[in-house]
Amino acid sequence: MFENFGWLSQSQADPRKSATADPPLVRFALIAIAMLFLGLFLFIPVAAVFAQALQHGLGEYLKSIIDPEARSAIRLTLMTAAIAVPLNVLFGVAASWAIARFDFPGKQTLLTLIDIPFSVSPVIAGMMFVLLLGVRAPIGGWLYDHGIRIIFAEPGIVLATIFVTFPLAARELIPIMQAVGSEEEEAAIVLGAGGWQTFLRVTLPNVKWGLLYGMVLCNARAMGEFGAVSVVSGHIRGHTNTMPLYIEIMYNDYHYVAAFAVSSLLTLLAIATLIAKHFLERRVIPVPQKGADEIETKVAA
Amino acid sequence: MSIELLNISKKFGDFVALDNINLKIETGELVALLGLSGSGKTTLLRIIAGLETPDHGEVRFHGEDTADVRVRERKVGFVFQHYALFRHMTVFENIAFGLRVLPRGSRPNEAEISRRVHELLKLVQLDFLHDRYPSQLSGGQRQRVALARTLAVEPKVLLLDEPFGALDAKVRQELRRWLRRLHDEIKITSVFVTHDQEEALELANRIVVMNQGRIEQIGSAEEVYHQPANAFVYNFLGNVNLFHGRIENGKVFIGDTAVEVDKTHAHVHSEDGKAVLYVRPHLLEIVTKSNGKQSFPATVKSINPAGPQVKVELVAAWGDLVQVEIDHERYQELKLAAGANVFLRPKEQKLFVYQI
Repeated sequence: MFENFGWLSQSQADPRKSATADPPLVRFALIAIAMLFLGLFLFIPVAAVFAQALQHGLGEYLKSIIDPEARSAIRLTLMTAAIAVPLNVLFGVAASWAIARFDFPGKQTLLTLIDIPFSVSPVIAGMMFVLLLGVRAPIGGWLYDHGIRIIFAEPGIVLATIFVTFPLAARELIPIMQAVGSEEEEAAIVLGAGGWQTFLRVTLPNVKWGLLYGMVLCNARAMGEFGAVSVVSGHIRGHTNTMPLYIEIMYNDYHYVAAFAVSSLLTLLAIATLIAKHFLERRVIPVPQKGADEIETKVAA
Repeated sequence: MSIELLNISKKFGDFVALDNINLKIETGELVALLGLSGSGKTTLLRIIAGLETPDHGEVRFHGEDTADVRVRERKVGFVFQHYALFRHMTVFENIAFGLRVLPRGSRPNEAEISRRVHELLKLVQLDFLHDRYPSQLSGGQRQRVALARTLAVEPKVLLLDEPFGALDAKVRQELRRWLRRLHDEIKITSVFVTHDQEEALELANRIVVMNQGRIEQIGSAEEVYHQPANAFVYNFLGNVNLFHGRIENGKVFIGDTAVEVDKTHAHVHSEDGKAVLYVRPHLLEIVTKSNGKQSFPATVKSINPAGPQVKVELVAAWGDLVQVEIDHERYQELKLAAGANVFLRPKEQKLFVYQI
């Protein structure tokens, strides 16, 4: 009576499968729920962004993008990412190197502190900078007297972005550096390599995929950050607006096409980032030096 | 290049890894550092290489202190236990590494590097694998690539950390013989760390037996095996039976049996007291009848006739397990079976007695 159930005869052919696989109904239900959820909360909203952006045609769409204020926001976002990502890499490599290679007092504290930007609300991060560097704060006041503006200016935006992104590369690199270990570096030094040569030729290639992955994550966060940047920016149009801030202003002013056009750009950037992340993720795990024993050859006598 | 270690001590926290080590290794020697894990042998090897700094003492190369010589300038070759091959480089690039990082002035050109690498690959018989990555090699092949990479920089001293530890028995034997031949050919001062006494006895000119951060004995394979300095060395080099006995009027007793002992092998200082006797399994004889005072009774527990010798496990009258190895002819003669009551007799006087 079971001949109509294709899945049953199939699982009989491979008994290992039937022992561990869930009943097909469960499998189908799970896949359906996942797909439905993805469709409702991801595909439809993303499609809506593009639909809204293009509702008055391609001409209107392009016009909103080349608007000077929009261009200024795009320029500021790209510039912020261009500063935050390299600094993040620098800090990530230094911190992960220190944590993976040395034992020093305060190592555990450093590990915990690195996570602070993850646990603190971005708005509070922004507030911290305002309290520290605002015109009424001692440091900010002194800087203001010397003609340096940080809060409600571009440096503040860059600082806030660096703050919210700085754990990203380090968090990615620490476990990889620990897994790779220091033996290869020791081998390089014994073979005559200097510190810099060892870093460039041995350490960096071993962690490069993890590092790139960290950069991708950092870039995504730097471009998309809203809360911390919003507090320190002051929303000066054409001057201290990043893309997410610009979108909010346009939306509140009922300029839907402009808001969604810039949104679509940000979405495209996010999609490109996700694609990059997808390809990098496959290569992050270091290759273990095991296996392949079948190609052993005998040592000739 | 000769290596001299003077009063080397090293602590890790409260753990004493090395306690006042003195050792001189002559040019061209092949020396084994033999000991259990935790005996400090790897730490000592790393100190020679400069990868670890001693708390006290001096390491001298050719009579000169190396304290101010940086690792990369020491001209040592170090083969790591797990090989530490550069996983993102091919076999060729791994071996070429030491040449590529030479200062610009002394760095050979690309053709010369290629010639030297292929020469080394031929030496380790792996030329056909030059474009593979370490993950594609077997353990034995990786070991030889690691060795070739080390030899590329023409080190004055070769240091090997458990060189055959991670390999299976057959490959280990082959590599052991190969390394012995290589050392005979290039005569480079070599030190290797091992916990395998057989490996040390077979390969080394001299063996340094280490225990708990100290050197117990230094000597040739013959010396450490046949004239062990103390109970630890005797115990460590090969299987032994341990008997608790006593000393009365200068005579050693196991149970009620008085055993004659060659004084050169006994650490007996006083006339009376407790003693521990060590007897190797092949130095005990099984007889069916007591021949008087020299033998003691035992019951056969199990027999393992596989191998060149028959291994018999017995229980002595006072309850201790005793291992005896006899040859197959003797085994046939005795017609032994589990449960048989027999007598044990030391074959010779080379028993190791240690007074406690």
